[in-house]
Amino acid sequence: MKNKLSGLAVPYVIWMAIFVVAPIIMMVVYAFSTSNGNFTFGNFADMGLYASVFGRSFKLAIIATIICLLIGYPVSYMMAKEGPRFQKVAMVIIMLPMWMNFLLRTYSWMSILENNGLLNQFFASIGLFDLINNIGMRMAANPELYVPIDHFNMIGTQGAVVLGMVYNYLPFMILPIYSVIVKLDNSLLEAARDLGANNMRVFRKVILPLSLPGVLSGVTMVFVPSVSTFAISRLLGGGTQMMLGDLIEQQFLGGAYDPYLGAAISLVMMVIVVVCMAVMNHFGEGEEQAVML
Amino acid sequence: MKKTNRTGSRLIMALVFIFLYAPIFLLIIFSFNAGDSSAVWKGFSLSWYGSLFKNRIIMESVYTTLLVSILATIIATVAGTFAAIGLYSLSRRWRDPLLTVNNIPMMNADIVTGVGLCLFFAAFFRFWGSFAVWFNSIQEVITLPTRLHLGFTTLLLAHIAFNIPYVILNVAPKLRQMDKNLVDAAKDLGCTWFMAFRKVILPEIKPGIVSGALIAFTMSIDDFVISYFTAGSSTSTLAMTIYGMTKKRITPEINAISTLLFVVVLVLLVIVNVKEAQQEKKAKRPVAVIAAEEVRKADRAEFFKARPWIKRTVTAVIVCAIGLSIISLSRATYGQPVVNVCSWGEYIDPELITMFEEQTGIRVNYQTAESNEALYSLLKSGGGDYDVIVPSDYMVARLIEEDMLEELDYSNIPNFELIDRRFRNLSYDPENKYTVPYAWGTVGIIYNTSLVEDEVHDFSVLYDEKYAGDVLLINNSRDAIGIALKHLGYSMNTTNEDEIREAYQLLVDATEKGVYQGKVMDEIYQKMEGGNAAISTYYAGDYLTMLENNEDLAFVVPERGSNWFVDSMCILKDSPHKAEAEAWINFIASTEASLMNMDYIWYASPNSEALEQYPEYYYELYEEELDPEIYNIMVAPAETLERCELYVNLPADILALYKELWIQLGI
Repeated sequence: MKNKLSGLAVPYVIWMAIFVVAPIIMMVVYAFSTSNGNFTFGNFADMGLYASVFGRSFKLAIIATIICLLIGYPVSYMMAKEGPRFQKVAMVIIMLPMWMNFLLRTYSWMSILENNGLLNQFFASIGLFDLINNIGMRMAANPELYVPIDHFNMIGTQGAVVLGMVYNYLPFMILPIYSVIVKLDNSLLEAARDLGANNMRVFRKVILPLSLPGVLSGVTMVFVPSVSTFAISRLLGGGTQMMLGDLIEQQFLGGAYDPYLGAAISLVMMVIVVVCMAVMNHFGEGEEQAVML
Repeated sequence: MKKTNRTGSRLIMALVFIFLYAPIFLLIIFSFNAGDSSAVWKGFSLSWYGSLFKNRIIMESVYTTLLVSILATIIATVAGTFAAIGLYSLSRRWRDPLLTVNNIPMMNADIVTGVGLCLFFAAFFRFWGSFAVWFNSIQEVITLPTRLHLGFTTLLLAHIAFNIPYVILNVAPKLRQMDKNLVDAAKDLGCTWFMAFRKVILPEIKPGIVSGALIAFTMSIDDFVISYFTAGSSTSTLAMTIYGMTKKRITPEINAISTLLFVVVLVLLVIVNVKEAQQEKKAKRPVAVIAAEEVRKADRAEFFKARPWIKRTVTAVIVCAIGLSIISLSRATYGQPVVNVCSWGEYIDPELITMFEEQTGIRVNYQTAESNEALYSLLKSGGGDYDVIVPSDYMVARLIEEDMLEELDYSNIPNFELIDRRFRNLSYDPENKYTVPYAWGTVGIIYNTSLVEDEVHDFSVLYDEKYAGDVLLINNSRDAIGIALKHLGYSMNTTNEDEIREAYQLLVDATEKGVYQGKVMDEIYQKMEGGNAAISTYYAGDYLTMLENNEDLAFVVPERGSNWFVDSMCILKDSPHKAEAEAWINFIASTEASLMNMDYIWYASPNSEALEQYPEYYYELYEEELDPEIYNIMVAPAETLERCELYVNLPADILALYKELWIQLGI
């Protein structure tokens, strides 16, 4: 009996060998070969050129993750404190945007942030630029040289890319944190209060540690896609804020064909992500039961 | 006090929800826009919803998306459920490492999974190619195809591969909660293992299966990155189609289809939630009511039990319907002769595709690539399942050099005789064995006269701090560096490294001064037409298209000269549809098609009759004279062409230098 059921695992193990393990092996092979098929470390050496891309990717992804956490945690907490009906509706509201393609939603931001976009049009219509120009003119040492502005430069900046990431991945932060907090045993909180802890202390000593697994899985779910995105940086960064994802995409389907270098970069990225997650899981006291959705 | 707290927190939540929904509402609002802009409101209209169903590219990609998601979900759910049961009856020693492997696709960034699969498929195709050649050589009964491509099958496999882990993740906790003795008990009571599975295990883990399937489906529908790397070019999901469009202009038809999908999901979610609420209410009803309902339910069950054929017929009908629709749709797409064409964005009158299909019965699968370099990557990585491509001069030379093009049989292309002598036997194809020219034109400066006060004569405006943040740099190395070379007075085809580095330095300095708002190819339409940028360099034909939407734009070919180009139709080596491809080339080269195309894309045709007849054609169509200035921009006169240079293919070391410099500029 037992043997029969465990036999069910065999096809899947074969499947995993083909579709999970083999692609990674292929990636390793490519990463260590030249275009003639010889062994080399050159692809990794070449990567020094791209240190600034690595730096930018991690910087922007970390900023986006922190912002998501700062918004996501309080919102999840507030949601969990509401009645069951409200919670249900709120869940639907947060899940629903995922059903509209993220590229479209990002494109929509593009039309908001453009130099001649909706936000700048709005600012102009409420007279914000006139106000700034008036003040600027008076404050400037030499009013002759003052260049009046008629728009804010938003598109093509790092801020726009971070905004795109926060916008797209915020639900991935809220959902896991919420699902952990909502399951917290209320009697634990009451016990803490009975023992004389004030609200702040209850939060710090009870709620926060217990919600940590949710936070960790939220952080991973925001950080990993942020650091590897290429569509968001392409649309909102205007091609000037190159990220790791753009770099990889260029080596395969973009303007600079070099799958060997692309594989090497992917491999490095994979290793970094795995290491980061291992470290975080370690701090999460082995709580690797990532609470998905 | 508690109350104020709550309003405060609700306010914050409301703000977050507004943040999440503002762009979505914008999309929905602009799906009802009478104009085609996504920023300027021109009045209410439902026209995009009507034209949506006639847009074949969108409808096909919606169909592909749904089909892939549904198939992948079904297969992944079944496979994942069995796999989870199998894994959970293994001992911990085996199970834990296997589960770790299972988690890899979920932990990895999508792009890493996509790249891995892409490389894996490419390697498999190479292996298959040599195997098929060998296999075909030893026997003659079965002929195996030697060339495989990324396509629907690889897309489906990739989706299944990333969906299964999610199913397992959801089924696993339910299995852990289940009492293992239950299965043994069932067996002791005489169940076969299959019955035990159906009657005992399945009901226990059903909630896990359902949520796993739901997540798998959501992931499939929402996925872009993995599809992008595994679907190749001839299969396109909705997300891929949208990505292709974000580079140019998103047609509001996309807004319309997204709104429709959004509303469907919204309605489904509301129904599910209302039903759940009803069931909760039901639980609170008096016993008598529940009993009565149970009786009625039992009666109904009895009714169907006595007539098992009802259930069977219904199942059979549903299965048949699904099967038939799949067969009919795949027949509609695969049974017909096909030609796969890859060209550039906004580079054909779509009417021509319909005309060709009606005349010949050959289905045209029309795709676009972003730039010559991107096309080259696509071909090299096995993603380009094309027959006809339309590369520019220097790329044609490179493809010929690398033996990637098929020689044409000009007896099948009689319309080649109509091609003007000026456009034959050019440097990239000196004996004219591989190409039939498609269009030609010049590269020049496009600027917005309402944003640029000075008169523009030469490329210096592209490097001038004065226009910081208003200039768009063309996003391919050849054009960007070539223009800089020309500006410095060098040849665009120079192989002198110092000159190239000097040109590159010009770009670096301008970048450091913040001159460039972005690097764009076809994004230029939306940026220039909307007045979001003031200065750019692009092709004359595209300028005329932009002019139709924004009259403030002006075009100038600098005194010091610029680039002129010829894009030619070629057939890729070993194309399985050579006859169809030649029919297509011949059709496009005809005078009638050339005239229609010139009128639509504003690029000059190489067809001598069409060049001559166009002003007349324009007059008949619009009943007004064609502005000679516009004709001169489209069909550059000889003296302009004399100032301009045609690109030639550069030697490999210079190409490598271009690539290296270009990447350095980007980072």
